[in-house]
Amino acid sequence: MFTTHVTRKFSAYCHDELSPEESRRVAEHLIGCTRCRMEFEEIKLGVKWAEQLPRMPAPDSLSPEIEAAFKDQPVRNAISPRRPWPLEPRFAIAASLVLFLIGGVLFLRFFRNEVQPSWEVARLEGAPRIGTTRIGDKGKLSVGQWLETDDSSRAKIDVASIGQVEIDPNTRVRLVATQPTEHRLELARGRMSARVWAPPRLFFVNTPSAVAEDLGCAYTLEVDDDGNSLLRVTLGWVSLQLKDRESIVPAGAACATRPGIGPGTPYFEDASEFFRRALTKLDFEPNDTQSSMIPALDIVLHDARPRDTLTLWHLLSRVNGNDRARVYERMAALVPPPDGVNREGVLALNQHMLDAWKDKLESTWSDYPSSMKILKKL
Amino acid sequence: MLKQMAVTREPPLKEPIDWQVIKACQQGDRDALRLLFEEYKDRVYSIAIYTIGGNEAVAADVTQQVFLKLMTRIGQFRGDSEFTTWLYRLVVNTCLDERRKQRRFVPLAEFNLVSKTQRDTSQAARYAQGELAAHVQKAITQLKPKLRLPILLKYIEGLSYEEIATVLGCSKGTVGSRLNRGHKALAKRLDWLPGQFVVGE
Repeated sequence: MFTTHVTRKFSAYCHDELSPEESRRVAEHLIGCTRCRMEFEEIKLGVKWAEQLPRMPAPDSLSPEIEAAFKDQPVRNAISPRRPWPLEPRFAIAASLVLFLIGGVLFLRFFRNEVQPSWEVARLEGAPRIGTTRIGDKGKLSVGQWLETDDSSRAKIDVASIGQVEIDPNTRVRLVATQPTEHRLELARGRMSARVWAPPRLFFVNTPSAVAEDLGCAYTLEVDDDGNSLLRVTLGWVSLQLKDRESIVPAGAACATRPGIGPGTPYFEDASEFFRRALTKLDFEPNDTQSSMIPALDIVLHDARPRDTLTLWHLLSRVNGNDRARVYERMAALVPPPDGVNREGVLALNQHMLDAWKDKLESTWSDYPSSMKILKKL
Repeated sequence: MLKQMAVTREPPLKEPIDWQVIKACQQGDRDALRLLFEEYKDRVYSIAIYTIGGNEAVAADVTQQVFLKLMTRIGQFRGDSEFTTWLYRLVVNTCLDERRKQRRFVPLAEFNLVSKTQRDTSQAARYAQGELAAHVQKAITQLKPKLRLPILLKYIEGLSYEEIATVLGCSKGTVGSRLNRGHKALAKRLDWLPGQFVVGE
């Protein structure tokens, strides 16, 4: 399936110069081919640099020189001989008319080119609105515009050619950017479900407390009125980020976020209730005097199963001192570290060792065979 | 050599000049020629200065040559292709002729920092953007001409692959391949730039 690499088409893919069928083939290949994906990242970076290339204004000194040339240079006419000037009043009227028409055409062309790119929106139920306007069965969401649903409305958005997003009732989303190297929504409140078949790191959703970055997946994301959010991944991976805090969330797992804190620690949704409550305390109520961090961490460590090393792996860099050592011991008991990864290095947060251990742990982080196949290819 | 100057970034307009204006130019209407010059001078100059390697005087000379040729040859333009395609072919050929005359590229070392007049409000952001633009300009001028020209036509002029292919006299596939190589070369040449320069939301 992955023997025919698509590297030669990457620039055309970025510039939307491929047919829909070719684009789909490139996107599908990228999901499964590490080699092509690495090369695609390089091309995308080159595209971003090239987009910074500014147009240079011609020097003012050029105009007089050209003006003099206009006066001196005889103009050859290959189509028809130049006609003598018409009478003055007729010429004035005709010239005004021509100038008016030219101005109109230029204005229309400029205006047309200023039109923002947009995504197709389809009404699923009720009366979704773009801005203040209710859409019929279909509408267009331009960059900068808000799509809003009330308590009885739902809508579906086609995310360029890379995926679909369903918008649930009482939701407010804005299209922030859409370009070949980045498609970005803002979810201010409510819930959305995304299915994205583009290569990783092309589709982003801003929330008040983190940015969700698609790594080739399907997920739901909801934001409450306080800006707290909850991500639940059903296929593939999603990364949640705020500044230097990042949580990687695989299929079957969820992760909460809080304004000012960012993403919490991801956990599998089939973890015990005690485990999940304790994790919430660790993440978002560290100064809770009623129950200190130590008991919460005790519960997490006690209830952790091998696949909950997803949570423990993230906790390694979020707790300090003795707590980090305790997390390490529990992880090592559940899934021993691979060769070349040792206690000292992990406690010092050696990134190479953390990554090596994560690679080994990933096989325990999913019992969804289909998504696992995709994950291993990633 | 290249002074610090304001730089414009506008959305590319493929055919800002109406056919009526072109016909007027063909009939020797000097106002129409002025309109044409005003509309395209920055685009022509931009292609020239990046192709020539940052030498303002040579780029200005090439720009003037292009418009002089345009005046004498516009009668040959019959509308079989887009006017821009016809014009850019003239620009590219004039630039390449100039390069042949010079035998080699003008040294690039003096392709200096360029500031942008743009929306950024903070001075630091403007400085960072200007600095970034300067690094990108330098990296572009260091590319081989056959990789550089498709990038200029794509990013300065906003031409489609088909239009670039027509201007350069090659296939669309070749355009894609050269842009690929150009993008990769840019990524490699600029990989030392810190991550904050990468523009993103």
